[in-house]
Amino acid sequence: MDLLAHLIDPWFLGLIFGGTLMGIMFGAIPGMTATMAVAVCLPLTFPLGLVNSLALLLSLYVGGITGGLVPAILLGIPGTPSSITTTFDGFPMAKRGEGERALKIAIVASVVGGLVSLVALYFFAPVLAQFAIKFSYVEKFLIIFFALTVMAALSSDMLLGIFSGVLGIFLSLVGTYDITNGGNGHTRLIPPGMEYWLDGGFALLPVLIGIFGVTVILEEAEIGMPRGQSLKDIEVGPHSRFSFSVFRGQWLNLIRSGGIGTFVGILPGVGGSAASILSYTAAKTTSRHPERFGKGEPAGVIASEAGNNGLTGGALVPLLSLGIPGDSTTALLIGAFALQGIQVGPLFIGQNAETWNAMIVAMLLSNLVMLVTMFFAIRWFAMVIAVPKQILYPFILMMCVIGAYTINYGIIFDVWTLLIFGLFGWLMAKLRLEVAPFIIGFILGPSAEIYFVKSLESFGDLTIFFTKSWIAVVLWILIAASVAGSIAISRRNARMISPSA
Amino acid sequence: MTVTRRLLLSAAGAALIVMPVMTEAQNLPRNIRMVIGSSSTGGDTYQNASILADALSEHLGVNVRVDPVGASEAFKALARDSRGTTIMMHHDQSYLQELYGVEGSPDIFEEFTVGPTISVNPGNAYLVPADSPYQTIEDVLAAAEAGERVRVAIQPGGVSEIGFTAMRNAARMSAPGSEDNIVPVNTGDQADKNQAMWDDLADVINGSIQANEQFTQLPENDPTAMRFVWITATPETLNQAPEAGLGETDRAEMLSFAAPEVSVPMTEEEDFTFDKEFFLMFNIETDPALVEAIDTAMGEIYAEGEIQQRFLDAFFTPQYRPMAEAQEHLRAKNDDYETIISELKSE
Repeated sequence: MDLLAHLIDPWFLGLIFGGTLMGIMFGAIPGMTATMAVAVCLPLTFPLGLVNSLALLLSLYVGGITGGLVPAILLGIPGTPSSITTTFDGFPMAKRGEGERALKIAIVASVVGGLVSLVALYFFAPVLAQFAIKFSYVEKFLIIFFALTVMAALSSDMLLGIFSGVLGIFLSLVGTYDITNGGNGHTRLIPPGMEYWLDGGFALLPVLIGIFGVTVILEEAEIGMPRGQSLKDIEVGPHSRFSFSVFRGQWLNLIRSGGIGTFVGILPGVGGSAASILSYTAAKTTSRHPERFGKGEPAGVIASEAGNNGLTGGALVPLLSLGIPGDSTTALLIGAFALQGIQVGPLFIGQNAETWNAMIVAMLLSNLVMLVTMFFAIRWFAMVIAVPKQILYPFILMMCVIGAYTINYGIIFDVWTLLIFGLFGWLMAKLRLEVAPFIIGFILGPSAEIYFVKSLESFGDLTIFFTKSWIAVVLWILIAASVAGSIAISRRNARMISPSA
Repeated sequence: MTVTRRLLLSAAGAALIVMPVMTEAQNLPRNIRMVIGSSSTGGDTYQNASILADALSEHLGVNVRVDPVGASEAFKALARDSRGTTIMMHHDQSYLQELYGVEGSPDIFEEFTVGPTISVNPGNAYLVPADSPYQTIEDVLAAAEAGERVRVAIQPGGVSEIGFTAMRNAARMSAPGSEDNIVPVNTGDQADKNQAMWDDLADVINGSIQANEQFTQLPENDPTAMRFVWITATPETLNQAPEAGLGETDRAEMLSFAAPEVSVPMTEEEDFTFDKEFFLMFNIETDPALVEAIDTAMGEIYAEGEIQQRFLDAFFTPQYRPMAEAQEHLRAKNDDYETIISELKSE
């Protein structure tokens, strides 16, 4: 069956349409993720054949990653780990009645990010894969370290921000230094008597939705019974009307963020969340108005969403060129190939031209379906903030609990993790600790540890971080620029505060 | 006894509770959760589990769901549930990790009921870069004997390490002390092992036919190209694989990398071989009748003969051993490897 035949095959098109919609729904429900959507549907794909299964799973992937922007913007709860940075500016925009505008900005940015990565995937996959293998433990550690320097830039108080980030790293290391990740299999940092529950550590998603979701609910409960915003608040008015003019001057941001997402995606083991974190920081540190970031700046939403959708194509590069998945969701896609008895490796693209073309078409169509459906469904999404909080929050809490329980296929301690970190997030606000650096530290901590230790085990001493390759040197320059940018932003903020004080 | 309305309601309620849980015919749970020792849905454990789960579901008329929770959580889930609604599928890693002293590993023969074997993945292999001076695994052993340091990338504590242990054991038998020249490079998953080769951190890597075969077909000047030097499966197992093999490597070529064509001695008389076998485990307190029902059902499924083709299509070798036979077989395997591992440890 050639490409044209796929384009008129109602099954193929229907699976893309249905998969994208289902993915958006999974992404949009707090606690559900793109990975979960793919995991749920994977066992059902066996009778579909390879091309149709991939059409479904890739659409779920694209839809799921994008759907995460909806709760991130409207509720301040990231639907997927890679939409954390979308909450930073999207939620403040929604709170001042610009929810619909923020959603439309995010959707357009998502599509552009997705298309940038798709172009890179289609034309440069083998070349990018050859480049990706130049990243050893050392370069991967430096990438993670670069992403960690963002903690300072995202903090309103640099010292407290860095402390929060280090606390996040510390808590992420609780549990077993897992053999499957290259560790020694020993447990550490576990309070006595807690080994049974904590040997696997705290799972990321329950921590994330606890900190963002349950904390918001506790804070609202503390305030009392608030009224929902009325529909008038989300009426499109002059202050909140979406126009493509918002992208004026943002094309560089869009392309750069899509490129960063793609680049992070091609590096196995770096993790999808780093894509949006790095894109967001690049946008903030190069902006003429970095002080507006975190307070409802559209450029922040653009960077985050173009970055995390840039990941979708990027993560497929190592999968289809080396047989190595770029992130947790593409790791599931290997299952689809395996179930159909297809080998994925360096010969895949050459030997399976038809499947390869169909995958690209599926992703392209999925991006378009996502654009059209979300753009026109926005009015309905945006109405969620008009739902009375006493109805909305119990529903969100229920979904968070379900999501936490199901993310690792039914581990009850993940529900406790959700509640513990919900409470912890509420306490963090009281102690003026900063959530964003904490979460970034928590996400990146385990990778930072493994790549740092493995670098030393493999290459001997600390000088290797400076002498390993030209890539390491470039990364050090970027790290230095990020640190300098953070300090400059911090000083500028201090200067802006002091005259008014 | 007076039959009251309350009694009738209680009986009806109890029946409603029990009905969805148990099937009438075999007293089996209506929903069975098959936890597996891997958290990946892309690996061989999930593939084998899903083939078996489909077959059991269809044969028994119950719902068998595969949950890839990983070894640690799977053992916990199995230990908690004696009702038989949770069963576990894993492979030789489940006893090897205990032999290698991995923290928190249970003794499966003491703490659980080892069930029937299911299938074999014949793909466990060792590879070198395409431009490596080592043409065969014998060259690797000879290099170690000659005092050359050979770095082998493995994931410690299990299936990946057992071949490495065998190499060290063979080196020790041939020239005591030379085993110290075969050193481990402890990595994580397959991607890490491949990367260790490409970064020139490892001279030999553990891999598999399924994951690495395409790299062996690349031109020699490709920086990612590799060559097989050893496939650990027994010739009997490999001979059951499809003649066309996998990818561009046919069965005859695979056999050329396996015993007896290549030799890694385990004893003076016997070569080391390793078949990565998948098998079921049950909670030790689960009703024996229920365990037997599953064992019997598997016997019937394999007798029908359809499941074999599904395993072969996915490049696995179907290998059902009834529970009693499987227990004896796996115990013997465990004891063999325990001897080698403990002898190497004690030196």
